[in-house]
Amino acid sequence: MKVTVLQESLARGLSLVSRAVSPRSTLPVLSNVLIATDEGRLRLSATNLELGITCWIGAKIEEDGSTTVPARTFVDLVATLPTEQVSLNLNAQTQTLNVRCGASNTDIKCIDAQEFPPLPVPDMEGALQLNVADFKEMISQVVFAASVDEARPVLMGVLVTVEKDTITMAAADGFRLSVRKGTLSQPAAQPLTAIIPARALTELGRVVSDGNEMIAMVLPKGRGQVVFHMKDVEVSSQLIDGTFPDYQQIIPRSHKSRTILSTPALLKACKQAEIFAREGSNVARLDIKSSGDLEPGAVEISAQSEETGSNETIVAATIEGIGLLIAFNVKYMREVLEVIKSPNVALETSAANAPGVIRPVGDENFLHVIMPMHLG
Amino acid sequence: MPRTILHLDLDAFFCAVEELHDPSLRGKPFAVGGRPEERGVVSSCSYPARLLGVRSAMPTSRALRLCPGLIVISHHRSNYGEMSEKVMARLRNLSPFVEQISIDEAFVDISGLGDPAGIARSLQAEVREGIGLPCSVGIASNKLVAKIATEVGKKSGKKGEPPNALTIVPPGSEAAFLDPLPADMLWGVGPKTAARLAEVGIRTIGDIARRPEADLVRWFGENGQELWRHARGIDERPIVTEYEAKSISQETTFACDVRDDRQLERTLRELSEQVGRRLRKSGLAGTTVKIKLRWPDFTSLTRQITLPGTTDQDDEIYRTALALLTKVRPKGKAVRLIGVGVSGFKPPLRQLGLWDGDSEKRRKLQEAVDELQEKFGRKVIHRG
Repeated sequence: MKVTVLQESLARGLSLVSRAVSPRSTLPVLSNVLIATDEGRLRLSATNLELGITCWIGAKIEEDGSTTVPARTFVDLVATLPTEQVSLNLNAQTQTLNVRCGASNTDIKCIDAQEFPPLPVPDMEGALQLNVADFKEMISQVVFAASVDEARPVLMGVLVTVEKDTITMAAADGFRLSVRKGTLSQPAAQPLTAIIPARALTELGRVVSDGNEMIAMVLPKGRGQVVFHMKDVEVSSQLIDGTFPDYQQIIPRSHKSRTILSTPALLKACKQAEIFAREGSNVARLDIKSSGDLEPGAVEISAQSEETGSNETIVAATIEGIGLLIAFNVKYMREVLEVIKSPNVALETSAANAPGVIRPVGDENFLHVIMPMHLG
Repeated sequence: MPRTILHLDLDAFFCAVEELHDPSLRGKPFAVGGRPEERGVVSSCSYPARLLGVRSAMPTSRALRLCPGLIVISHHRSNYGEMSEKVMARLRNLSPFVEQISIDEAFVDISGLGDPAGIARSLQAEVREGIGLPCSVGIASNKLVAKIATEVGKKSGKKGEPPNALTIVPPGSEAAFLDPLPADMLWGVGPKTAARLAEVGIRTIGDIARRPEADLVRWFGENGQELWRHARGIDERPIVTEYEAKSISQETTFACDVRDDRQLERTLRELSEQVGRRLRKSGLAGTTVKIKLRWPDFTSLTRQITLPGTTDQDDEIYRTALALLTKVRPKGKAVRLIGVGVSGFKPPLRQLGLWDGDSEKRRKLQEAVDELQEKFGRKVIHRG
């Protein structure tokens, strides 16, 4: 293999794929990045067997070939090279990659590309076309609610369902639930359901650039995988096996009070409360103070810590229904408010031990359910 | 290699702190405690008050009858904690192995640090002069004898003054030191046990030690064995540092190394149940579940996960511990020791779950199982 690439594109490509490198794997080749010539471009791939990321960069190819390069060594080296042409020259016999750039001359010991796990070459026929900006927002509004508890693998995923021109993503960690609906520009030929690891979607959200590009999504038949393909990047992931719990039944059908607040004001109050709540159980109390029909109401958000002190903020609110004192994990509140774009947000509550529902005002596509914290 | 354990007890701690606040109290009979009209009791009384028969835990009203001129001071709690922490910090300077057992008492392992008497004297001087509090010290090869040594030292002090005592029991003479002391000075001998011992003619610790072990086991069951060992000055309990005291854990070393998944899972479940039971018994719930593993080559590792809420439920502890085990143990690798612990105790503010219907049922089931096991023993019911 003999190729020349620009230092900047190599550095950018490596930073994209190296998120899928598994540094402490029992399989040494998984700590490496595959580099291979591919129809006039240079392909970089990394995988931890669950998540795979590939990206293609422009290159001048003199001789085809492939190898796998230790990721840390390569990333650290390339970061320090001058922004010039980098020539990569592989001695296939010794699997040594010679890297030359400016005055720098490096030999890196590699592992034969044969040992690298084969990456999916999906048939993109019938792929769903997703708008990048929309899809990125959908991901950001649900992934944070997925569980990190490995004891419940299903909840570490995001349930994605597609029915005609509607795509729905849902994630829940047992204490909160995020559901986001979106519209496809072209309806899907067949309905589909899959549980995609939240980690894979987070990485996807990171690697896609904000252009007007589309993402093509396919689930190759019988492979238990999902592949997201863009012009220069591809992210593939194993799907999670199992049945996602029926989340429809835990979305409250009614409420006793509906409180409308300014999203940024409530977010700021929650961030302040969290400074004190994080020392303890992360609990913030929301005192929803209902008032006369024509008078403005208010919500008092407070938190206290044995060690650091206490904080309370009063946020003006429009309250329909009864007053209530309810306690939430304030980190959950902060995380959902951070992904709500609408200027106002509605909090629907019924009792101190019943779920609260948060919705952006004027947007039917998103809802979030949080279970309160309760004494005893 | 015998250990050297130092036990430190601040003399009439609350009163000593009050004297620092108000030096005019010095030499006067006074007590710190609750008001008589509120049915308060004496928490601590000055040595002059003790001369008149006032004792701690006595109702304040009775103390006032015994000693009509008694000055009663109500608690200024925060400052006691601060003063206590100053003393504990001195102890931690001495050695990291400090076990604080109450606001005014602690053990320190000073093994191998040099002449125990010298260490004790300079420590007492530091606490007395540097912080202004009198204290008594006992030193022995274990916690039991060290604590008793402190008590013996305090009793022999000059009446009406802080004892500032230092008592050292050299290794090998533990049994002889305990021999003449009354039986109820042993840990675990309360009024009931003492009465039962008196019935069979046992008055001193030496009387217990001279009895056959079997007699004590017959009278007191499992506790009898411990009592007999303690009476001979044997106590192997380690110093439990503060960090460990904030967690509840159980571990077991296998008779031979285990590589069978099922057996490991079974053991993990048993350990989780023991931890769960201890948590619920102490009314605690923690957010962090950890496992400890030792491989056949004696290398060990611990791994932990912090849960979003607190738990005291066997099932949740087991599921979390099992997930950790699966993650860190390469398939088929043999295990020599396995342990489970819960730490990060928080107030019992419970994060409710989306699917609580189930866990609420499990919680009720757990309560019922605990109750049955409490009544009829652990074997009466177990997981099918």
